[in-house]
Amino acid sequence: MAIRILYLPSPRPAVALLARALAIILALCCAGLVLAATGAAPLRLAAQVISSTFGSSFGLEDVALLVTPLILTGLAVSVALKIGAWNIGAEGQFYAGAFAATGIGLFIPGPTIVLLPLMFIGGAVAGLLWILIPTLARAYANVSELITTLLLNFVGVLLAYYVSTGPWLDPSGHALGTTARVRHNMPDFWGSVHWGFPIAIGLTFVVAGLLNYTRWGYEVRIAGSNPQAAHYAGMPFRRHLITVMLLSGAIAGIAGMLEIAGTVHRLQGGISNNFGYLGIMVAVLARGSALGVLAGAALMAVILNSGIILQTQGLNTSTVLAITGLILFFTAIGDELAHYRIVRVKAAAA
Amino acid sequence: MTENAARREPGTPPIVLLKGIAKYFPGVIANQDVDLEVWAGEIHALLGENGAGKSTLMNILTGIYKPDAGEIIIDGYARAFASPIEAIAAGIGMVHQHFKLVKAFTVAENIHLGWSQTPGRISGEELERRTAALAASLNLAVKPGARVDDLSTGEQQRVEILRVLARQARVLILDEPTAVLTPAEARELFKALREFVSRGNAVIFISHKLDEVLEISDRISVLRGGRKVATENTGDCSQTMLAKLMVGREIVLNNLRERGAHAAPISVKPALSLRRVKARDELGNLALNGVSLDIHAGEILGIAGVAGNGQKELSLVLNGMRAAVEGQILVEGRDFTAAGAFAFAAAGIGHIPEDRLHSGLAPALSVTDNAVIREYDKPPVSRGSWFRPRAATALARMIAEAAAVTVPDFAMPVRNLSGGNQQRLVARREMRIADKVLIAAYPSRGLDVGAINTMMRYFVELRDAGVGVILISEELEELMNLSDRIAVMFHGEIMGVVDTAAADIEAIGLLMGGQRQLAQSPRQTGT
Repeated sequence: MAIRILYLPSPRPAVALLARALAIILALCCAGLVLAATGAAPLRLAAQVISSTFGSSFGLEDVALLVTPLILTGLAVSVALKIGAWNIGAEGQFYAGAFAATGIGLFIPGPTIVLLPLMFIGGAVAGLLWILIPTLARAYANVSELITTLLLNFVGVLLAYYVSTGPWLDPSGHALGTTARVRHNMPDFWGSVHWGFPIAIGLTFVVAGLLNYTRWGYEVRIAGSNPQAAHYAGMPFRRHLITVMLLSGAIAGIAGMLEIAGTVHRLQGGISNNFGYLGIMVAVLARGSALGVLAGAALMAVILNSGIILQTQGLNTSTVLAITGLILFFTAIGDELAHYRIVRVKAAAA
Repeated sequence: MTENAARREPGTPPIVLLKGIAKYFPGVIANQDVDLEVWAGEIHALLGENGAGKSTLMNILTGIYKPDAGEIIIDGYARAFASPIEAIAAGIGMVHQHFKLVKAFTVAENIHLGWSQTPGRISGEELERRTAALAASLNLAVKPGARVDDLSTGEQQRVEILRVLARQARVLILDEPTAVLTPAEARELFKALREFVSRGNAVIFISHKLDEVLEISDRISVLRGGRKVATENTGDCSQTMLAKLMVGREIVLNNLRERGAHAAPISVKPALSLRRVKARDELGNLALNGVSLDIHAGEILGIAGVAGNGQKELSLVLNGMRAAVEGQILVEGRDFTAAGAFAFAAAGIGHIPEDRLHSGLAPALSVTDNAVIREYDKPPVSRGSWFRPRAATALARMIAEAAAVTVPDFAMPVRNLSGGNQQRLVARREMRIADKVLIAAYPSRGLDVGAINTMMRYFVELRDAGVGVILISEELEELMNLSDRIAVMFHGEIMGVVDTAAADIEAIGLLMGGQRQLAQSPRQTGT
């Protein structure tokens, strides 16, 4: 008898799922061990996290507020991946959307019923404009969108810092380093959870529908999976690349707008809470499935919320970052290992 | 053992002696009963068609494959190589057709990569200095500090050769070395090879180009169908004789050219025509040079020629995937020169691409998505802008049934299907849209005999239904059995078009070797 390792081109779904679950458990175990080593009691902390997250509607509301932007930034990254582009710039597009929504909300007079849609459109357009240059550079000059979208993140962050501490600084002086409060609030949907939550979920379904039930979506899937096959079938790869990347930017921009209108109401530095970068994790966890984004975003939101709870217990926020990093790390390993299968074979002639 | 006696010391064994080598792959005899001896001081050419077993034999000699039978004797001692590292330690090095260099590294780094003589710690300058010294001692001009990426293919090949020679190789195996070289670079290479063997080493030169083999080698061994058919002194050889040896006389003519009573006749007007078409390859080199061809409905036109003589570009131009830089493409008399791939497909021209997995399919997507790539835009798969997955799966099921491919799950990635099943699926998919012409580029490549027969039956079926079929193949047997006419390509040009019924294999072999046809076949048009 000999043991051989086989490589499967695509893993069996059950194995893939198991690998995912193991990855998350292993990551939590690692984090627990480190916590234990620093003198904390990981099991007690875990119980605390679970009871305060799922034990009350407040906990669930907090998670829902966190999940909303994560769904959208995750969807933005995921959609770009469909055409084979890495949008690392959801963070910057998020800021652009938040910036535009704040500008419209602060300086255009009018009733909320008119201004909220206007802010929504403004956020989407700002996100789209933020990714426009990387998109055109990729489509016409083959410049890596990975670099260009990433670099524009810093521009977005600094823009938000600048206006919120400079020209748009709250004139009433109530708060330092933020703009005045935008008076047009997203109405509440459930408890303190605003309508952005169902909108984010709805958008995910719309995008999944577009990809799976339209000719456009079919062409995008083919072109993203194998540009040569698109060339073979005569599909316009470049046109699809441009529309999909712009759509990706617009979705991230909407995330920024909803954060302003729904949760924070003031533009300030650090408003993104790293949602743009965490969107990359969500998209990776979603494995290219638009609906998988919902699950990935939910997981990330629970982890983020746990971090907030852990902070009340005197732990550093970097614990949370470490846990998310560990999950991604183990997931990447697990996804790869799910391709392998160990079989026993009769020893053949050597 | 009388030839080349002058170069041999009495009692010295050959550098390389292969005895009774055999290698079997599932369903294929790659090598059988191959004996080969290579003496110090000679350039020994290994000639044969694609698939004749040349590369397999050399992969056995260099330790990449293990022979299923036979012996490898180096300098009189029987050896068994478990890996290329052991082969190189015994002085046998190979330069593959596709270079195995790290493109982002410098020449010096590539030379020293994975070499036991490389010190554990060494500075970049020292590496380059050592490389320059090596290059000088072996008389091969390379730029030690240059990145491999920035080198021409000829220079990259020199780096490969230097890497092999630096490891004290005494037998240098070159797999189709001139395929990537300009004529000037080839001359440089030949000079360096001569110099190398004059120092008591040996070269095994794999090729299927008759002229260069005659130019460079001392002796020639011809492989056909995995067996060695002859070893001759180059001085005793002629192109005609080599072509005959290479192609063979015992082609089993399993004539599929006969038509039934129900079959559609060959049309008078061509379905698809090329008029003096020129086109470039990916690197911008002229790969099609003034090609004129007519394909009539209801005929099978074979395209013969050694791979890499413009067949790929021909197939791409014929279905709109590569724009012609000059000339005209006509579909039933209408100008399609500027039309894209979509327009060609819509006009009823199907295409079985050379590299089905990478250009005809999206490997990671489902069987369904891949099966409908030609018909996704019309009912029933689409209604207006809407794509209907269920209708798509129904169509995919139909295509899979026609192709006799069992698909356990239409949602699984198409790459999970075997190569033969992928090919049958692509063929059936293309046949559905090929009302006028089907272009099949190397359709039997990588398939077993049963799958090849199925493929051939498909083409006959199409021909009888009045579709023009262009069959690009490197298997002369296949072309002779199936095509009504055979066009032979060489260096991007059509050397001649022959009627298969009156064709002479030797004549085709000569055309493949680059000799122009003297007598024109009656139906050939244009020049």
